[in-house]
Amino acid sequence: MTALLPQEIDRAITVGADTAHLARIRSFVEEVATEVALDFERVFDLKVAVSEACANAVEHARCDDMSLKVCACLRARRLTFTVTDNGMFRPPSPRWEGVSNRGLGLPLMVALMDEVTFIRTPGGGTTVSLSVLLDRDAAPSA
Amino acid sequence: MELQLASLEGVPLLELEGDIDHSNCGIVESALGEVLAGGAQMVLIDLSRVTYLDSGGICVLLSACRGVRDAGWLGVINPNQNVRRLLEIVGLLVDPSFRVFADRQAAESAVGEILSQGQRP
Repeated sequence: MTALLPQEIDRAITVGADTAHLARIRSFVEEVATEVALDFERVFDLKVAVSEACANAVEHARCDDMSLKVCACLRARRLTFTVTDNGMFRPPSPRWEGVSNRGLGLPLMVALMDEVTFIRTPGGGTTVSLSVLLDRDAAPSA
Repeated sequence: MELQLASLEGVPLLELEGDIDHSNCGIVESALGEVLAGGAQMVLIDLSRVTYLDSGGICVLLSACRGVRDAGWLGVINPNQNVRRLLEIVGLLVDPSFRVFADRQAAESAVGEILSQGQRP
């Protein structure tokens, strides 16, 4: 069965920077994560983490017609989703601000993923990488 | 996401269904705000048909907890395993003004017990 699973994946979707598209992004994440046979729990975690990164990007969008690109990449048993925007990165505020996701989105991403990376790109924009190791729970080899 | 307002033993009960995310959590926030503005000290949310919840929805729950703090509690009914895990990560499960009930019957018993002690809903 494992032999039939894909060893490499490169896929992407681009949507408008609007929270109305979060459900579509989650469907994309679920499709890829299910393809590599991640269990139900980790599929959910990826959906939350990617959705949080996208919501963060939407919140920092500089203009209404900004787009959001979500890429899925599988290499060496590591599945990474990258969320790229051209907005202004602002560090999460430690204070609660209404129902904004500030202060909670980032800790959730860190809690749910095996690796989280933020890259500020020259000229503006941010790329957030969210990775899970497919063999995380496997016994270490001798 | 679907939202319906009902009541259980006189306690406001929000029945939610589907995915709660940043695009629609404002609807839940408004509904909870109206219930709290009406003076409710206990509020129940049935999460049994909620398939997904993100920080947008969690912030609404945290905010409602603050709204009833000192006087009562916010109770959620039957969150699925993944949603419950998120509630645990953000610390809601140890918040004294937050409760989790396995089903409606358990929520009804808890409410009945409190009402029998003379507290209003």
